[in-house]
Amino acid sequence: MKPTVNVLYLPGTNCQEETISAFAAVGATPRLRFAADLLAGDERLDDADILCIPGGFSFGDHLGAGAVAGALLRSHLADQFEACRTRPLIGICNGFQIAVRGGCFGKVGLKVNSSGTFRNEENQRHVVDEENDSPWLTGLGGQTLVFPCAHGEGRFHPDSTASVAEYRVALRYEKDSNPDGSFENIAGITSLDGLSFGLMDHPERAVDPEVRLAFFENGVRAVR
Amino acid sequence: MIHKFSVRSAGVAEPDIRELGRSWELDDLEVWRDYYVEFEGDPEPAALTGVAAVLGDQLDVEVTVNQPLAQGDVQVAYKRGVVDNESDSIITVCGLLGVEARAGKVATTYRSSSPRLRDLVASTRFNATIEELHDEEPHYDTLVPQGHYEPTVHYDLRGLDDEALAELGVAGGRNLSLAQMKHVRHIQETLGDEYVTEVLLEALDARWSDHCAHTTWKSLGGLLGRLINAAKDVANPNVLSMFHDNAGVWDFYDGHAIAIKAETHNGPSAISGYFGQLTKLGGVLRDILGTGLSADPIGSFEYTAIGEPEALAPIKGRPDARRLAGETIRAIKEYGNTFGVPMMSSRMTFHPSYRAKPFALGGSIGLLPVSAAQRGTPRPGDFVVLIGGLTGNEGIHGASASSAGATMDTTAVQIGAPLEQVKFRKALIELREEGCMSALTDVGGAGLNSAVGEIGEACGVWINTALVPLKTAALPMWRILLSESQERMLLAVPPEHQERAKKILDRHMVRSTVIGRFADTGRYHVFHAPDLTEEALIASAPDAVPAHQGETGFDVSYELLDIEVERQEVGPPPRPSGPPPAWPSLEPAELTGLLEQVVSDAEVASQHYADSQYDSTVQGNTWYGPHHGTEHPVRTAYWAGTPVAGSPAAAVLNTAFNPWMFDADPVAATRQMFCSLLAGQVLAGVEVHDVCMCDNFYTPHLSENWREWLVGMVDELAVLVRHFGVPLISGKDSSAGSVHTDEGLVSVPPAVFLTALGKVPHRDGLLREQWTAPGNALVRIGLSTSSPVGTVAGRKLGLTDGALDDLALSDVDTYLAALAASRNLLRSGARIGAGGVAAALAQGVLASGTGVRLESATAESLFAEHRVGAVVEVAQDDVDRLPAELNPVVLGVLAPGSGILLDGTDLFTPAARDGWLNSFTARIA
Repeated sequence: MKPTVNVLYLPGTNCQEETISAFAAVGATPRLRFAADLLAGDERLDDADILCIPGGFSFGDHLGAGAVAGALLRSHLADQFEACRTRPLIGICNGFQIAVRGGCFGKVGLKVNSSGTFRNEENQRHVVDEENDSPWLTGLGGQTLVFPCAHGEGRFHPDSTASVAEYRVALRYEKDSNPDGSFENIAGITSLDGLSFGLMDHPERAVDPEVRLAFFENGVRAVR
Repeated sequence: MIHKFSVRSAGVAEPDIRELGRSWELDDLEVWRDYYVEFEGDPEPAALTGVAAVLGDQLDVEVTVNQPLAQGDVQVAYKRGVVDNESDSIITVCGLLGVEARAGKVATTYRSSSPRLRDLVASTRFNATIEELHDEEPHYDTLVPQGHYEPTVHYDLRGLDDEALAELGVAGGRNLSLAQMKHVRHIQETLGDEYVTEVLLEALDARWSDHCAHTTWKSLGGLLGRLINAAKDVANPNVLSMFHDNAGVWDFYDGHAIAIKAETHNGPSAISGYFGQLTKLGGVLRDILGTGLSADPIGSFEYTAIGEPEALAPIKGRPDARRLAGETIRAIKEYGNTFGVPMMSSRMTFHPSYRAKPFALGGSIGLLPVSAAQRGTPRPGDFVVLIGGLTGNEGIHGASASSAGATMDTTAVQIGAPLEQVKFRKALIELREEGCMSALTDVGGAGLNSAVGEIGEACGVWINTALVPLKTAALPMWRILLSESQERMLLAVPPEHQERAKKILDRHMVRSTVIGRFADTGRYHVFHAPDLTEEALIASAPDAVPAHQGETGFDVSYELLDIEVERQEVGPPPRPSGPPPAWPSLEPAELTGLLEQVVSDAEVASQHYADSQYDSTVQGNTWYGPHHGTEHPVRTAYWAGTPVAGSPAAAVLNTAFNPWMFDADPVAATRQMFCSLLAGQVLAGVEVHDVCMCDNFYTPHLSENWREWLVGMVDELAVLVRHFGVPLISGKDSSAGSVHTDEGLVSVPPAVFLTALGKVPHRDGLLREQWTAPGNALVRIGLSTSSPVGTVAGRKLGLTDGALDDLALSDVDTYLAALAASRNLLRSGARIGAGGVAAALAQGVLASGTGVRLESATAESLFAEHRVGAVVEVAQDDVDRLPAELNPVVLGVLAPGSGILLDGTDLFTPAARDGWLNSFTARIA
């Protein structure tokens, strides 16, 4: 039985196909979960081994990136989303923003890039944290992975007043190549239990097929 | 009940606001967003708290409720007729929170103690065409745009003399000529009616406009037919559809095809750079979606020519070039990134002739199965289904005004809403795959009138405008028909698939409404019957025309809607004669200075400030471009993508346009642009017969000899198509490039923008531009086009008058054949473009961090733009193996370091590098 992946498809999602391709390439069965079907109760968000929230501009990024989708996850789909957080969950770019607003990583923010605008970097370099034992990062610690950056609101910013961080660093931008001004060059984080993984950049678009699939392969392996 | 929510940073200002404060020299600048929400009834305080919590759901953000503007605050908001794109999302959020809202509105408020604030906002952040500027808190009765139905006006044309007919033809912003009005009278007489309606006049004004009917091209002797005939003559088997649909379709591999289209939004972009550019990209993406039985966009490209950024706008109240530049970048970023289509190529040119009306070109390519490549045909009984955005009072007379050119001031721009289009993009593909549509088209220029009129021509059609979902409570029939509200598509859905189609569209949260039916009548029939519901229409018999039709707009057979265009004879264009001016002899120090000027020119300099804001990798299929370089991102000469999952087959796209060459000789420029593109494709690795092109003409209509030049360029293209077997399969013409301004008449040069699309079976064979290893030789190959006229360096040296080089097509053939045969000798290769060999060398150095040691250099050898040529990298041992037909000229050798060395002197100074990196940004940011 192939592991299943629910890929949340919201109005404005636009990275679903390359994300589905990546999951399919590593032996999973990805399927789209449409917001309309979820709201109507025709489908569920939590009936798969993995939840993926892909990139895009959900609801046009109106009212703030991921704001409307975050409200959706915290209201009508709150119970199902909570269930998803007990299994591997990955949020990429807008999916990361939604996951943050959904409460996956505690009090952190993803703000307008320090340049004040969208940044597109075709060959952004990321260093995988060596200490984080998240299943999404298995075997990748210390490696430098090159994949595209394309976002306008990705400046990672933790709450300076929080006494305890509710996230762990997963990725950092390589030194002197921070495209969005993120705190301590943080490019991706996991939840404390490592199950939820969020990153602003796009491994599913990498030209190198090994890099393209690395995180997805790990996530799927964790639920086999 | 309307409540206001102000959302602002609680701590340090966001970077974009700090940057704005720096540029305005206002240390205390605050900027925030005000959301106005019109609720159904009076919501409980807890509901307001809930809405505020969502709006403020971000670290270090605070929300205040119902706080009015303070003295000195300046607020900018859209006029009520402009429905804010965020309105739907505000309503959605309220719905999620269990509180009902009717409409939302977003405003931006600026605060500073400086008395300069109002002027700064008004001059740089405010567009009076579509926005309001508030010094004190506005009071809204409602946020819903107001509108009402008006019974259509009737006109009896039978007794009118020519003067009265002509006057009526241009009344109310129409642009109908006397000859066209006489034809309307002929329609009335043929039908035997007592009158014609305002609806018919407006519909025909749009139908016969240059935008829709290409009257200029027809009057000059069937110019489009000349291009089509040339393509037919060469019978390239890759052509699946040309000039017949919303885009041309080119065969790809393994049952797939690629659609290509580019179009312009020049007029709207002169009024609002933001909305004009937003809708140019949205419009062309919709063209791709509406090609065949729907193609999925896989790439976009854009080109914008505006005036010099330092110059004032030549029409008072219009945005100047600097502002247009900023608005262009913002618009392209917002539409393209949101839509999720990779940017393949983007470029901005500063040329004084575009200061009154820019050249705003947007293009796209899309993937579709060969089996869906042909334009669909609606069948009688099929439903007319309108999907996407609501219809508002927007862009009325856009089509006719963009044709009239000089009189467009009275028109409003269309408002783009990319989210709507993202939603129906994949729904259309699903509808196609499930066989739910017999035809579709986009709703663009001239609105429903054009879309319904065109798609219905196959059999006949009727629509009830009362069923069209509106942004306002109501609108007059002709305004519903002519509205250019964006993000709408029109589908022909067979009755047996209607239910399934509705389900698919609902799942994608796409609004859809059955507004009429295709009929076996051969007639175009429009009426307004509020009591004919969508349900009743769906339940009616397929061949039934409703008995009760409310008010009739018109009911006319299609054959009566055709009109002959008066033919105008033109002679040959006045080509420049005599030899081109000579390049001066320059000392090395002078070469160094000229190099700095050339690489700092916007045609050569990095435009990374703009194109780093465009997503170039979404969809995960970008193989090469739009930048290369391990040291600095340098623009590639072509883009390649692999759009079919699991296949290495690549689509290859490149573009060519140089307005200074068109200033000099439009016909010679056309030849050089065409051959340059073709040579670039072959250099990349594409075979000549696997290349097609798309043409976008932008020509003046009030300057001397414009007709002769236009015909000359078209005839030249026909010659080139026949010679190379490379067809033009898509294109668009805009013949309204002259504008009366406060400075007098300003006209663009007669010109054509060309885009080439090629294909290769495997991406690995494509040649890259990055230099690979020190020690290899750099060789210039190709034909010599050494005239300084039209070159960047020529402009810097004042060598702007004179002839361009002639290109012998047989020489091009010889070169292309030799190039294709010797590609295995090339380690890298860059097409020579703006800035000539010098720019290719500078960009090679910047991309690779490797230097070059030149054997010799003159002004001509460095700065002539040999456009059918390239700078290639060859192993030293292979230099002698390059065939003579390539006309190889050894330039020098790649060397460690990162300079351009001539006799020990580095011509590429730090100032030149800085100019390349920063000059563009400095001029527009």
